[in-house]
Amino acid sequence: MDDINDVQNVEVASEGKQYIVVHLGSEQYGIDIKYIDNIVRMSKITRIPMSQKYFKGVINLRGEIIPVMSLRLKFDLVPDEYTNATRIIIIKLESQSAIGIIVDEVKEVVTLDEASIEKPNSADANDIRMQYLSGVGKHVDGLITLLNISSVINDKEKEMV
Amino acid sequence: MDVSQYLEIFIDETKEHLQNLSDQLMVLEQEPENMDVINEIFRAAHSLKGMAGTMGFKRMQRLTHDMENVFQEIRSENMKVESELIDVLFRALDALEAYLNEIMETANEGTEENEEIVNTLNAIAAKATGKEAPEQAAKAPEGGKEETSADSGDGEGEAKYQSISISDFEKHTFEKAQNDNQNIFGITVSLQESCILKAARAFLVFKALEELGEVIKAVPSVQDIEDEKFEMDFSLLYFTKESLETVKNAIESVSEVKHAVVGIYTLPDLHTSDSAVEKPETKVEEPEVKEPVAKAPVAAQQAVKKQGAKPAQKTAQKNAQQKTAKPTVGRTVRVDIEKLDVLMNLVSELIIAKNGIVSTSSADEESRLNSALNEQIEYLESVTTNLHESVMKVRMVPIESVVNRFPRMIRDLTKKLGKKMELHMSGEETELDRTVIDEIGDPLQHLLRNSADHGLESNEERIALGKDEVGHIYLDAYQDGNNVNIEVRDDGAGINVEKVRNKAIEKGTITPEQAEAMTDKEIIDLLFRPSFSTAEQITDVSGRGVGLDVVKTKIEGLGGNIECKTEMGEGSSFIIRLPLTLAIIQALMVELGTEKYAIPLGNIQTIEDIPFSEVKHVQTKEVINLRDAVIPLIRLDKILDVEPGEFKPESLTVVIVSKGDKQAGLVVDNLIGQQEIVIKSIGDYINCSKLIGGATILGDGEIALILEVNTLV
Repeated sequence: MDDINDVQNVEVASEGKQYIVVHLGSEQYGIDIKYIDNIVRMSKITRIPMSQKYFKGVINLRGEIIPVMSLRLKFDLVPDEYTNATRIIIIKLESQSAIGIIVDEVKEVVTLDEASIEKPNSADANDIRMQYLSGVGKHVDGLITLLNISSVINDKEKEMV
Repeated sequence: MDVSQYLEIFIDETKEHLQNLSDQLMVLEQEPENMDVINEIFRAAHSLKGMAGTMGFKRMQRLTHDMENVFQEIRSENMKVESELIDVLFRALDALEAYLNEIMETANEGTEENEEIVNTLNAIAAKATGKEAPEQAAKAPEGGKEETSADSGDGEGEAKYQSISISDFEKHTFEKAQNDNQNIFGITVSLQESCILKAARAFLVFKALEELGEVIKAVPSVQDIEDEKFEMDFSLLYFTKESLETVKNAIESVSEVKHAVVGIYTLPDLHTSDSAVEKPETKVEEPEVKEPVAKAPVAAQQAVKKQGAKPAQKTAQKNAQQKTAKPTVGRTVRVDIEKLDVLMNLVSELIIAKNGIVSTSSADEESRLNSALNEQIEYLESVTTNLHESVMKVRMVPIESVVNRFPRMIRDLTKKLGKKMELHMSGEETELDRTVIDEIGDPLQHLLRNSADHGLESNEERIALGKDEVGHIYLDAYQDGNNVNIEVRDDGAGINVEKVRNKAIEKGTITPEQAEAMTDKEIIDLLFRPSFSTAEQITDVSGRGVGLDVVKTKIEGLGGNIECKTEMGEGSSFIIRLPLTLAIIQALMVELGTEKYAIPLGNIQTIEDIPFSEVKHVQTKEVINLRDAVIPLIRLDKILDVEPGEFKPESLTVVIVSKGDKQAGLVVDNLIGQQEIVIKSIGDYINCSKLIGGATILGDGEIALILEVNTLV
């Protein structure tokens, strides 16, 4: 959890949801904080042969084996370049085992109230990437794309080789 | 009385009794005259009745009571066992099972009266013995019981110790004691009928006696006494220097002891009376033996009377006790399986930690030289290995607990399908992990039904084919290396490969061209595909098209695999292979490029160094010829997409693995060594191929993947 402390804790408002803002290339994404179990630095990833392309492999997190996916590959962006800022966010959904997602950088925790979240435009619903979104948050630093984290990790595309 | 705390015991014991009843009924069906079996059934029904009564399950009690009545009649030879009766009894058994299930779920027996079964039972009993029969029968057991207690209540009690027989070895001890001026006493201790903790009282008696001297022999044996396998009294031979009075007082000072008969015991062969010697240890003949004993106040008259009513029941009880003692009742503790899971997890953690220490110590130059440290590490390794084995053994359950319901099932199928068949089972004592046992029942049941319904021909066909009219189904379990194999075999028609082939084409599973190219074996494997049933007629026994694929999925879920062999006209067999343990295995660590993989040691036969020149090509596949066997090579780096290392070896390192009688050679870059590894799942997010059986954490914290040899080969 040490890394959470590094994040500048901007606002803790009484209303609204808290999101962790992460960077992926030039875009900002928000992940609902209640799903986040842990944020860890990059560690050795063991490749799993013949898995889906966006799964980088598994890591050993204190004796637990946790699969790790690359959000960049999942969103068809250019592949990751690991830097000192690269983090693995460990997501734990209710009654599901933990899973890690790789992001370029973890920036901050923001609080967004209902009013500043815009629901996705239904006209875009056909766009494949839209199904991973739960809305767009307006914040002082610009727009934050809010991820529908459960659809991101539960979408098992059959990409068997 | 609040009995809820006994509910679990009640459920467990009832299950055992029901299983026993079912087994015995099966035997009875074959040997309707077998008195031992009849007695055993009577006893089981009687115990069930008593237990149900105590727990307040009136309906269950009533049903068992009526079963008991019927057997009372059979025992007194008023009627014979007929197949009609067996059918009713099986139905009664099912009804009892239904009660039990209801009790397990709701702690209540429900309201099903099973009037019809009760009436049929009574009608059968009445028909055989005339009108009075039911009442008589109803009274008989109670009457018997009263007499039992009246018997042990008799005045001063009997000096049963006189009937203790001794061996030559013991005689020797006796002579020694006599030379030592010790008194040899025979003691018979009777407890009060109200005594509940008989074993505990007996223990106190023993304790009191051991302070004063030495107990040489006890009848029943000490073990039986500890297990409360005695009625109200037990007899001892005892050496002491104390006087008879002191000993008697010591015993009678223990509470709930009714009285103790203490007398000088004389060696039987010194004495001319040979009755004691000749008398076998079974107490069945008690009444006669008692007579010569002077002190016994039991009048001969009484003994004769008892002989009429009681011995039959007593014999039954005695026989039964001897029978239940068959799995020598050790001291056991019932443990929740979850607690064992926790224990197993802790052992896994411990082994990971141990591997960590091993790898740091071998990496570190200084500690490698420290022999004391190395010794301790080796010690730690052996302790953790033993610990793992012990925990594993604790989790192991004989497969018997699953398969013992099958004979009954086959019997029912015999009637339902109108085919004569027999089930032969072997290896019921083979042990498997508890989790596997819980899951394996349904697949096995499915395979057996399959064999019974589709495998075996009808009786007429069998006769026409010159086969034994009765179909045979075999269920064999045995251990094979790190696996347990379970084989379901029948001597039926076998699978018609052509029929399967045509069916597959018809269903569009494969194209005619594909069908041409496929071997018989591959065709048979099609049977394990979803919704593939070739039975022309769908019966309610099997053949709804959801069959073998479910079996296969289930078994693969347990880490095992299934294979089918068939011979037209000879029968078919399904072989299930299951891993012996689920969590921790010995594995060979190998290197491919920069990656590490684990190959379970149980699959490995040998490791060979093969020069390139010996690799041959057969139909574009690489093979090697090893000791007269042609073994296909599998290039792991290709299959697993490993980036090739720079290092170019002069020969191939080949790990020869096997699955059943199939072999394959896995080509690896490097061998690291043997290691005990803990299997961890890689979760279900990753669509990993079936080639990876899981992952394990190595001593340095790195992860290695475990290769699933069974899918590779």
